[in-house]
Amino acid sequence: MWQTLLNKILLRGQRAESAAKQFLESLKSEAAEGFLELLLKLMSLVFYIDPGFRRNIENFQGRYLFRSQDRGITVAAVFQDSRLKVSQEEIKDTNVTVIFRNGKALMNFLLSPKPDILGSLLRQDLSIDGNLNYLYKFAYMAKHLQLKFMPRS
Amino acid sequence: MSADPLKDIRLQEYTLDNLPLLARLRKGLLHTRPAVCIERARHVTKYLRDMSREDEPMMTRYAGAVAHFLKEKQAFFFDDNLLAGTTCAKPFGAPVYPEWTGMTIWPELEVINTREKNPQQLTAAEADELNFEIYPYWMDRNVLEVTRKRHHNPPCMRLFERIVFFIGSKAGTISHTVPYYELALEKGVAYIIAQAALKEASLKAQGPLNDEQSRSLQFYQAVQTALEGVLAYARRLSERAAELAQQERHPLRKANFEQMAAVCARVPAQPARTFREAINALWIIQVAIHAENINMAMSPGRLDQILYPYYRADMASGGLTIPQALELIGCLWLKLNDNTNLVPETAEELFGGAGTVPAVTLGGVTAKGEDAVNDLTYLMLRVTELLKTRDPSLNARYHQEINTKAYRNRVAEVISTTQSVPAIHNDRVDIKTLERQGLATEHARDYAVIGCVELASAGRSYDASSSIMLNLASVLELALYNGKRPVTGDDQIGPATGEAAAFTGFEEFWNAFAKQFQWLASQAIELNELFGRMYQEILPSPLLSAFFQGPLDKGQDLIFGGALYNSSGATHIGFADTVDSLSAIERAVFLDRKCTFEELLDALRKNFEGYETLHAYLVNRTPKYGGDDPAAQRNAQRVVRLLFDFYQAHTNYRGGKYRPGFWTMTNHAGQGKLCGALPNGRKANKVFASGITPVSQAAVSLAGCLQAVGGLDPLCIPGGEAFNLKYPALSGAEDIERFGAGIETYFECGGLHIQCNIMSYDMLLEAKENPEKYPELLVRVSGYSAYFKDLNDAMKEEIITRTAYDLGSGQAVAFPEKNSGMLGTK
Repeated sequence: MWQTLLNKILLRGQRAESAAKQFLESLKSEAAEGFLELLLKLMSLVFYIDPGFRRNIENFQGRYLFRSQDRGITVAAVFQDSRLKVSQEEIKDTNVTVIFRNGKALMNFLLSPKPDILGSLLRQDLSIDGNLNYLYKFAYMAKHLQLKFMPRS
Repeated sequence: MSADPLKDIRLQEYTLDNLPLLARLRKGLLHTRPAVCIERARHVTKYLRDMSREDEPMMTRYAGAVAHFLKEKQAFFFDDNLLAGTTCAKPFGAPVYPEWTGMTIWPELEVINTREKNPQQLTAAEADELNFEIYPYWMDRNVLEVTRKRHHNPPCMRLFERIVFFIGSKAGTISHTVPYYELALEKGVAYIIAQAALKEASLKAQGPLNDEQSRSLQFYQAVQTALEGVLAYARRLSERAAELAQQERHPLRKANFEQMAAVCARVPAQPARTFREAINALWIIQVAIHAENINMAMSPGRLDQILYPYYRADMASGGLTIPQALELIGCLWLKLNDNTNLVPETAEELFGGAGTVPAVTLGGVTAKGEDAVNDLTYLMLRVTELLKTRDPSLNARYHQEINTKAYRNRVAEVISTTQSVPAIHNDRVDIKTLERQGLATEHARDYAVIGCVELASAGRSYDASSSIMLNLASVLELALYNGKRPVTGDDQIGPATGEAAAFTGFEEFWNAFAKQFQWLASQAIELNELFGRMYQEILPSPLLSAFFQGPLDKGQDLIFGGALYNSSGATHIGFADTVDSLSAIERAVFLDRKCTFEELLDALRKNFEGYETLHAYLVNRTPKYGGDDPAAQRNAQRVVRLLFDFYQAHTNYRGGKYRPGFWTMTNHAGQGKLCGALPNGRKANKVFASGITPVSQAAVSLAGCLQAVGGLDPLCIPGGEAFNLKYPALSGAEDIERFGAGIETYFECGGLHIQCNIMSYDMLLEAKENPEKYPELLVRVSGYSAYFKDLNDAMKEEIITRTAYDLGSGQAVAFPEKNSGMLGTK
């Protein structure tokens, strides 16, 4: 049983490494396609393998909806019971909804070159409906992952 | 009081060479990097989360939280400053206030140390505490989010969060005010506690209480609770100073610790007896007020008046010498610099460089109308001249008929030396403006400056003077584009006021402009009222209320209208560009018929590309505010009047009027970067002119400029104005005289305020290129001082391009052609 658990953790660890690689690649892409899905995938895996990171969502309940302006991308992220569930469907009763111009705008907003929430709002790259603090928390977690997996210079 | 018993009001014999303590402390301050301070957030959060019940009245809980923090607050003595007490647990701290904007740095917790613009130190352990312990409690509890939830994210809040229309400042602060320190110094904080206890006992004796009386009872209890925290902090300072005195071997330091121990054992609990006790009591109260209220423009007021009785008594008794007094004043100046704002990096980039803007006011007249300038006024001017620090934001009041020319010239000399401070306020007009707002004459005469330029009857008037910052250029664009703006795309923001191309006369456009303004300002006021009422529910100020005239008599917290006078301030960004654009439309489209409105709109959308001839005409041939064309002045006055009539018709949640003003901090740079091309020829994304100042390089004659700005009806500008002037040089008696004459002209016309930078285009250009050569260059921005190196590029360019006037010729100095790209019209 321990061996099974260990294998699971190792497997998820490997998957996290792979997801992190893809995630970092997406950061370099001009279009930033798939950036959000990769970020959430990586986040889910790291919550599983890293208790320190998991502490971020202990006793935390948050419902997030990310949607592109053209509705081409819709991603819901629900934090509950120390887990992150991701779906491609609209959800109701969100704490915060983020409507973004495109993947690049969302990436700039959260990560690159710095967590630029205000700047993104100023550029009207995205609009937010809901509690900004939930977004700040999400941006913190995203930034943490970026720093964790980014090659040290 | 008006005599000049000092042998030399310039106090030139005292320098940093013979005041080595100040020299050392100043060096330490300028070399200390700011650090995030979580001490207050830790204790306030712990109290509210773990030590009180959610069903207790917030008045009681919040007072308890503030007292808990003050009782737990560590006593630090970071350097050899003669005054005990620190705002933060860091030598130069940025305190976290999660009730307001403290959460905005959450995404940056792991990078704030290394961010490019104004980094702030934060340890990993502190970041973890914020992330895991403090911020989670506040996610649904800060003033912004509670208001949002209660009112279902109302349209006015969504509009505010688009940032480019107006800023509802209460999401971040209500502080902007001037407390009443005199009573605490004369009678002691223990006396105020006793007064509150008497009021409480008197209410209880009345038997069953109605709701209002019950609230008063809670208020009196909260005042006592919060003030007990102040006394606990002072005791802790005293005990710690005594411990350090025991350990210290250096005789001077040992003596200083012993004195601080004795001072804090007495004040602020008991009446101050000496200058040193008074100045330290004032500082401890200032620190304590920041335990409750965010560090934003909490202004100490008329310190040369408040502290003068103690100074005079000590000097008369031989208990104080001038160098000792200079040292103590200098120590207070440096203490007022011990904290800074906590802001996210983007805000730093757009609006950065500001300190906490605690304004100190000197000179002018007394409540009886007599000359208020005294020896202490000159000592404070000298200290300012020697230290040249960002804070306090120094303001010199000047009454042409009552203050002396020697005082005026001394103020001019200090401006020359520091190159930027103090700002000068026109007593005669300021007092009249406040009287027109309903203040008794003696209260109006005893005004002090809040933060940037706003006026308050010190300790009597709760003005929340920075409640609204409204972008006037956004109003103009809404009128130009039928309720839309280029920066917000196809969204219908304001009412549809008609396609500008269809307007057949300027009055039609003016009506559209007025309608858009009234709609936008209504949104801003609606949000301010929602925030204000939310403050009444979740953020009362019993501690600050104890240092105000009114609340203890009325049994009413400041936030419920307890002060003698109340108002809310609304300031405006982009005034000169908007006025010039109105004039340009009137002249170009409707009088000279140089273009149709449709052509003008097309030119604006294309940022004048392909419209070079029209652009040149708009820049060079249309009336400019600050120039000599009466059409520009008429439109300027019309805008001022429109705003005044609208705001004064609105009463705030505390029963006071809204007061319009024209000062912009750095918002004219940030908002300018987000605005399309304007009819005055300003190109897209260029900064706006600051405050009430004419557009850079638009007004060529100094006299004309002074008459134009001063000619606006000051009674319609009760929220204050920031007028920036620049001179390349100011040296020698002749220049000082000329400078003084300019001030006289401006004040005779009716100007409320003026502030100057004494620096040439070349020097500022070099400072931008080589910041390391000018690490301490202090500039006036739009109502406050900043280190030039800390400003963003847009703000630097705005200051560089401000019109510089030659004092000899009275004409604008030509701007260097090679740098003309910085100008708004290029």
